[in-house]
Amino acid sequence: MLFSFIGVPWFHTDQLSWIMATLIVFVVANILAFSRRYLAGDRFRGRHLRDVTILGVTILIMAFANHLLLFLAAWGASNFILVRLMIHKPQWPAARSAGTLALKTFGLGLFFLALGFWFVAQGAASPSIQQINSAPSETTSPQTTVGLLLIALAAMTQSAAWPFHRWLMSSLNSPTPVSALMHAGLVNGGGFLLTRFAPLYLHQPFLLHGIFIVGLITAVVGTSWKLIQPDIKRMLACSTMGQMGFMIMQCGMGLFAPAVSHLCWHGLFKAYLFLNVGSVVHEHRSNAHHHGSSTKALMLAGFAGFVGAGAFASVSGLGVNFEDTSCLMIVLAFIAGAQLSVGVSRLQPLAWQLASTPLLAALAGSLYGFSVRLIDTILAPLHVMKPQPIDGIYGLGVIFICLLWMLFNAKSAARLRSTEAWKTLYVSSLNGSQPHPATVTANRTSYRF
Amino acid sequence: MSVVEQLLPSNRYLESFEMPDINQLVSNASDVIAPVWPLKTFIAVNPLQGLENLPFETAVIRSHHYRTANEDGNSGRESVNREMIKWCSVFFDQGQATIPMPHREQGLYHAFVQLASYDSRLLQESGSKVFLEALPSSAEEAILQCLEELKVPNADWEDFIRQSFAALPGWSGYVKWREHWQNPSESRICPSSLIDYVAVRLVLTRLLWPDAAESIDVPVKVPSYLRELPIAEKQFREELLRHILLQVERIKDCEQQRPDAQLVFCIDVRSEPFRKSIEAQGNYKTLGFAGFFGLPIRVSCLGHEHSHDSCPVLLKPAHEVSEIPFDVDSPMVRRNRLGLRVNKLKTSLYQWLKYNFATPFALVEMVGPWLGLRMFAKTYAPSLLKQAIEPIRQNLIPEIDAIPDLASISWEKQADYGESALRMMGLTNDLAPLVVLCGHGSTTNNNAFASALDCGACGGNHGGSNARALAAILNSPRIRLILAERGLTIPEDTLFLAAEHNTTTDEVSIFGACASPDHQSAINNLRRDLAYARSVNASHRCKTFDLPLHRDPVAATKERSIDWAQPRPEWGLARNAAFIVGPRDLTDQIDLEGRCFLHSYDWSSDDEGRYLTTILTAPMVVAQWINSQYLFSTLDNVAYGAGSKVTKNIVGKMGVMQGNASDLMHGLPLQSVYSSDDDRHHEPLRLLTVVYSPRHRVQSIIDAQPVLQKLLFNGWVSMVVIDPTDRNAHLLERDGTWQRVN
Repeated sequence: MLFSFIGVPWFHTDQLSWIMATLIVFVVANILAFSRRYLAGDRFRGRHLRDVTILGVTILIMAFANHLLLFLAAWGASNFILVRLMIHKPQWPAARSAGTLALKTFGLGLFFLALGFWFVAQGAASPSIQQINSAPSETTSPQTTVGLLLIALAAMTQSAAWPFHRWLMSSLNSPTPVSALMHAGLVNGGGFLLTRFAPLYLHQPFLLHGIFIVGLITAVVGTSWKLIQPDIKRMLACSTMGQMGFMIMQCGMGLFAPAVSHLCWHGLFKAYLFLNVGSVVHEHRSNAHHHGSSTKALMLAGFAGFVGAGAFASVSGLGVNFEDTSCLMIVLAFIAGAQLSVGVSRLQPLAWQLASTPLLAALAGSLYGFSVRLIDTILAPLHVMKPQPIDGIYGLGVIFICLLWMLFNAKSAARLRSTEAWKTLYVSSLNGSQPHPATVTANRTSYRF
Repeated sequence: MSVVEQLLPSNRYLESFEMPDINQLVSNASDVIAPVWPLKTFIAVNPLQGLENLPFETAVIRSHHYRTANEDGNSGRESVNREMIKWCSVFFDQGQATIPMPHREQGLYHAFVQLASYDSRLLQESGSKVFLEALPSSAEEAILQCLEELKVPNADWEDFIRQSFAALPGWSGYVKWREHWQNPSESRICPSSLIDYVAVRLVLTRLLWPDAAESIDVPVKVPSYLRELPIAEKQFREELLRHILLQVERIKDCEQQRPDAQLVFCIDVRSEPFRKSIEAQGNYKTLGFAGFFGLPIRVSCLGHEHSHDSCPVLLKPAHEVSEIPFDVDSPMVRRNRLGLRVNKLKTSLYQWLKYNFATPFALVEMVGPWLGLRMFAKTYAPSLLKQAIEPIRQNLIPEIDAIPDLASISWEKQADYGESALRMMGLTNDLAPLVVLCGHGSTTNNNAFASALDCGACGGNHGGSNARALAAILNSPRIRLILAERGLTIPEDTLFLAAEHNTTTDEVSIFGACASPDHQSAINNLRRDLAYARSVNASHRCKTFDLPLHRDPVAATKERSIDWAQPRPEWGLARNAAFIVGPRDLTDQIDLEGRCFLHSYDWSSDDEGRYLTTILTAPMVVAQWINSQYLFSTLDNVAYGAGSKVTKNIVGKMGVMQGNASDLMHGLPLQSVYSSDDDRHHEPLRLLTVVYSPRHRVQSIIDAQPVLQKLLFNGWVSMVVIDPTDRNAHLLERDGTWQRVN
């Protein structure tokens, strides 16, 4: 069925396409202008600019593709171009190795995707994404389920989800603008892919739970690794891994619209940080660690958390509902609000602190709510926002994240740091987050520009 | 087996065995690496500094030999390097990681030993864990044990350690900086030494590359640039001397008219073209002097939390100077403080959410939209964004006039500094009504190497504070009284002004000029002329950037300074080639193209050669450091430079790596010395020093100064002396003889 072309339009436009197209055009336009100056004098600037443009076009095709084959071709092509961009200086062995590693992972992803598409097309008897998605739920065949599983795996390779994360950890031999483009564009492919087939996934609670668990592991691993990285680019890469994990988690909870919202705003955030890496030398880090866990401070934090959560719930229009998975974001807004109150706890005099805490929490919750609502509203006609009822797995996942947050901020956690377990954990995290050995420039003289 | 080895007892751990002095071995072996300064205070240094007591050619070949020994692609060495990079980058982190490496405060070796036995990468062979757990508590002993177990012949120990250093010259050089140059009070969070470094490296070698001692000697190669250098240098020297000797003929001793203003600039090569531009605008005289104005101070600036050493790294700051608001009670000062506090709170709240668990998920959505807009504005309209934001910033955090608090320097000492500065640059007679002391600094955006563009004489910082301090000293009536007693009379109508030359935009800001009305009009004229000089100089510089001619040069250079995508905001000290000591008359008619350090010197008021000694042993040495860094970064940017900015990665907020991980890439980035991947902008030439002074005086200074003998007789610097008494020029040969060149 994958190869039937009659009566199947190549393209189909919907709200998701437009969001992705806007994001990619915006990012590519920025990267082109940035690279034109940043790569001045570089031997391969011309090729780089050309490839960035082609990459933009292939992603646009993917965003608007309706025929599975076209989608597949655009997917493969964009990844191939990305690898070329990543390598940039082929005479540098470490860069070549990093490209090869990415290519292998993408190859695996493409294989999953092709196979998945074949199954899905068989199941729905059509290669049209539009038709596949509108197939009535009762007719879900085992073929479709297998297909969706494979597609989910493809999404994991693209979004560097654990255990397919290594290519991303090893991708920093790329020119800075390529990293920016990659973290704002290509790694989001996984989220886009899952959302593309959201109507089908929403009928597969088993798959959703699997996706959720992989997302959760990725989010926890990525965010923890991020905290120990001594160099800026790998810290950003680990951070992206964590954020992608969170996005996948949201998909797994049926929160596809918030996942797209996350993908967009994280993309802009990360692209900015990558382009701005040169400034990091002069960034002063404030050491506001571990203070103020008195009862008063905790009460204030709790209050701020409620204000943040309330602001988020009302601005985002999600409301407060702890029976379905949308509570994930309410919890996050609570955490952010509470965290901010700890951040201002040193502010003097006390009146300032008391006044600023709820204000800041409300502001933070509203900003978060606004971002989510904007994308949710646009995607509303697609009906991809279907929070799932909370069950053991979802519940435990959310609680797990809260616990880790509390543990990280608890005063007593500092004491853990001299234990054997901590050393083991530290060294294994350090090793786990190392790039593939072949992609490290172990000998200075093997570096080439 | 050598005789020495046969004499040694078989068990070398017996107490009777006399332990070889590991300290000495490590110290000797570290000659192959040079200290690497962190990015915040990027100091130009000769990457072959430890080899300067060898002839230039020998040193180059030696360094090249050790650094290319890696090229065999030995997998054992590569594994050791990788692990070394991994541990060094977490240990030396200066605030990037939120969770630091455990036990850092115990020092590099001890922290490593504590964690190594948990590292699965090191435990691939049986017995590794036992070995790691049984490591001696002293780093020296560990070195000894590993050298033994690696079966390195005794005679080769020093060389083996040298190779260990040369394998990652950036990281080991950084340790060398920490050991010899870092302010000890700043090293407490992660103390380290070269001994520690070697110990860790040898432990890793013992585990991952047990047959390291058998590595094959690579044949010695001579880099091709050694042959090309002298030819280019001779050509440059002859051309420069031709121009200068023509000028010498014209120097007259007759009285000159009192200038409207004298402007003192840093000896930095970027001052020269600007000096030429301002001289052309009116009756102005300019002078060159080391940009720290002779003040060995540590400064804490207004609005900055941390103080910094603002003097050449060769000196230790002797005084702490803090800048205080000119008018403490003004409402502006209060607004400024509040603005700074709010700004700091904003930053810390952002970081508080960013470097935490779970909160980054919400944070990216809160700030994502705004950062997207900011990215667009910074990329497509940096100037517009600046114009829009600057007034708001000014309003929230208004700039306030600062004055230095010199209480920590005694009056006598202040007078000493003032006197020697004036005498050294020969500014003792004919002081103009305005004397501008002009420090310099750069403004660039998103530039990890920003401090490489700042004033080297101020330790890689902006020089304005030092200018302020000296101006305050020389304006003080009490100091003037002391100086008058010492025979140095400053005319009553002379006002010293502090200023700062922005080398990226060529803007000169004059600080806190609240002068009497008769000075005010002169200052206004000066401001106008400085603005004009700026546009003249900017248009010269636009040509070096290949910018289209129709662009407004001032706007173009300004845009480069705020553009976050700009890898070459300015050329820094690229193309530097010579250090000229003498009066400005010697050079003022020549277009030196910004290639010369100019130090003012009047031989006739320096009878004993005291000031010339200082000039040749301090500013000239700094010029040689800078020159060598540009030289080697250009000759071999992989071995001695930082590589391309395009793929740089910043580690620990203190150094640059290439891509995923690499050696600490010391030296200058490719974009600082190359106009493109294949074309050099900097012309590699060793420093030529030209001195306008009686030859016998220079001769006796050289005879008394080992540092000059080292640099001159080994060919690191060449020197031409033009004798004012007979106007003959002589080149100093490396065997110590003088050869007449005119």
